[in-house]
Amino acid sequence: MPSSEARSLRVQLGGDALVVAPGIYDALSALIAGQAGFGALYLSGASIAYTRYGSPDIGLLGMTEVADTLTAICDRVATPVIVDGDTGFGNALNVVRTVRTFERCGAQAVQLEDQAMPKRCGHLAGKTLVPAAEMAGKVKAAVDARKSDDFLIIARTDAIAVEGYDAALDRAELYLEAGADVLFVEAPRDRAEMDGIVARFGGRVPLLANMVEGGKTPLLDAAALQQIGYKLAIFPGGTVRAVSKLLAEYYGSLREHGGTGPFLDRMNLFDGLNEIIGTPGYLARGKEYDGSNFGGEA
Amino acid sequence: MPQSSSSGDRPSDRRRRLRALVDERRALLVPGAANALTARVIEDTGFDALYVTGAGVANTLLGVPDIGLVTLTEMVQTVEAIGEISSLPMIVDIDTGFGNAINTRRTVRVLERAGACGLQIEDQVFPKKCGHFDGKGVIPVGEMVSKVKAAVDARDDENLLIMARTDARAIEGLDAAIERAQRYIEAGADLTFVEAPVSVDEMRAITAQLAVPQIANLVVGGRTPLLPQAELAEIGFALVLYANTPLQAAMRAMSEVLGALKRDGGLDAVRDRLADFGERQRLVDKATYDALEKRYAVE
Repeated sequence: MPSSEARSLRVQLGGDALVVAPGIYDALSALIAGQAGFGALYLSGASIAYTRYGSPDIGLLGMTEVADTLTAICDRVATPVIVDGDTGFGNALNVVRTVRTFERCGAQAVQLEDQAMPKRCGHLAGKTLVPAAEMAGKVKAAVDARKSDDFLIIARTDAIAVEGYDAALDRAELYLEAGADVLFVEAPRDRAEMDGIVARFGGRVPLLANMVEGGKTPLLDAAALQQIGYKLAIFPGGTVRAVSKLLAEYYGSLREHGGTGPFLDRMNLFDGLNEIIGTPGYLARGKEYDGSNFGGEA
Repeated sequence: MPQSSSSGDRPSDRRRRLRALVDERRALLVPGAANALTARVIEDTGFDALYVTGAGVANTLLGVPDIGLVTLTEMVQTVEAIGEISSLPMIVDIDTGFGNAINTRRTVRVLERAGACGLQIEDQVFPKKCGHFDGKGVIPVGEMVSKVKAAVDARDDENLLIMARTDARAIEGLDAAIERAQRYIEAGADLTFVEAPVSVDEMRAITAQLAVPQIANLVVGGRTPLLPQAELAEIGFALVLYANTPLQAAMRAMSEVLGALKRDGGLDAVRDRLADFGERQRLVDKATYDALEKRYAVE
C-alpha cells in the first residue's frame, strides 16, 4: 500500500545524502525496491524494452507503452518514480505531451536526452544527436508543460561519445539555462571526467550519475559517487541483469529436476510472495466494505 | 455484429477482397474512419473499404492537429476497435512508420495482427519539426526505400498491401515525385500514392508512368482537383481516399446543432438533424447484443 511518508524527490535532492534509484520495470519490481528502502525508483525505458518486449533499447517503445507501465507502478507505490522519457518521443511538441502524460501518471521526474530519434542505449555505439539548440527548446518545452514545480526535468546529454567531453559540458550548460532541474552527462569515461563535471556544475544543480554494469563509466558505489559530488545515482539495468540470471537458473533447475524442490531455498513461498504484494491488507480492506457492514446479510 | 470470428471474414479474407478491388482500378471510393462509430456509418452506407486516418485520430481522440503526436499504440487500439465491429477491409495510415526501418518493421507486424489489410507509409521527415506545418520535408529516397523494404519483409500475409506515399511533389516537383514512386515500386510497394498533384494533366502523368495501382487523395480545400469518380476511374486510379470527409461533416453538424442548443436553450429548431434513439441503436447494432444477452441469460 502506498505509504504517506515518502519524501518528494525534490526534497531528497536538497539534502546532503546521495539519492540512489535502482531500476524498475513493473509494479512488482517497484514494490520490492521500495520495501528494500530506496527513496526513489528509476523506470528505465531499456528495462521495459527488455522485459515486456524481449527487445533491445533501440527506440521501439512508444510513449503510450511507457505511460501504461508508469501508471501501474504509481498506482501501487508511493516511492518517487523517475521515468525515462528518452527523446521525449519526438520534437518539442511531443515533449509537451510526454511531460503532461507522465506527470499525470504520477511520476516525480522525467529524464529527456539529446539523441536523435529513434534513440539507442547511451552505452551503445552509433549514437547521433539533435542540435544543442533544438534540445534546449525541448527542455524549455518540458519546463513549460509541467503543472507542478515538484515534477523535475532531468536533462541528459549523450554528447561525450559523439562530439567530445567539452562539447558535452557546453550542451549541459545550455540545458541548465533552459530550465533543467537536474543534469545528466552520460557516459563519462573515467574518474577525471566525472570530477570535471562536478567541478563545473556541482554548486549550481544536482548531478546524476548512471551506473551501467559493463558500460563506459567506472562502476562506483554510492559512497564514492557522493564523495565525487553527485546527488543522484541510478542503477537502471542492473535489476534486469540480476533478474535474467536468476530466471535462467530457476528455469534451468526446473528443467533439470522436473520440480522446484532443489530451488525452494531461493524462492518466496506462497505466503512470502503474498506478504510482499500485500494480499493480507487487501483482504482486510475488502472485509471493511463487505455488505454486512452496511445493513446487508452476512 | 462482432465479425472477427465468423468464417469467411478473417483478416486474410478481407485482404484478398481488398487486393481484388484494387486490381480492378475502378476508382474505389474509400472514406476515412477515425473511430469505430464512423466505420459503422461507412459500412452501413454501402462502401467496400475504409481508411483509418491518422489525422482523424489526432483530431478526434486527442483533439490536436496532425503533427505527429499520435502513438503507434493509439493507432493499434483504434484499428482493433474498428476491426471488431466492421467487416470492411481497413487501409491504415502509418504516417512515417513511427521511426526508421526497424520501427516500421514493428509497426507493420503489430498492425497486421490488429487486422489491417493495407498500410500506407509516407516519406515525410519524422518527427515533424515544430512550426513547419506548411513546409513539410521528405527523407532521402534511399532511406524511404529501406523502409518500404522493411515493411514488405515484415508482413506475414502477402496480401497485406504496402502503399508507399511520396510527399515530394510540393518540394522537388512532379517528375522527382514520380521517380521516387518508381523506386518505391522497385522496393516492393504494391501501390503508390503521389500526393497532391495539382492538375488533371499531372494526375494522368502519374497513372500513365507508374505500373502499379495508384491512389488519389481528395481533400476539400486541397490542391488536387476534386474530380468525380467516373473521371478518376477513366484516368486509371485504383483507390480514391476521402480520408476526412466524415469527420469534417460531423464537425460541422456538431457545431450547428450545439450552436442552436446554446442559442435557443432547446433543440426544436434542429430536431430533424439528430439521429433518433432507434436509428442510433440500429447503427451500433443493439439487436445483436440483445440477442446475446438473452442467449447467455442466467436461468
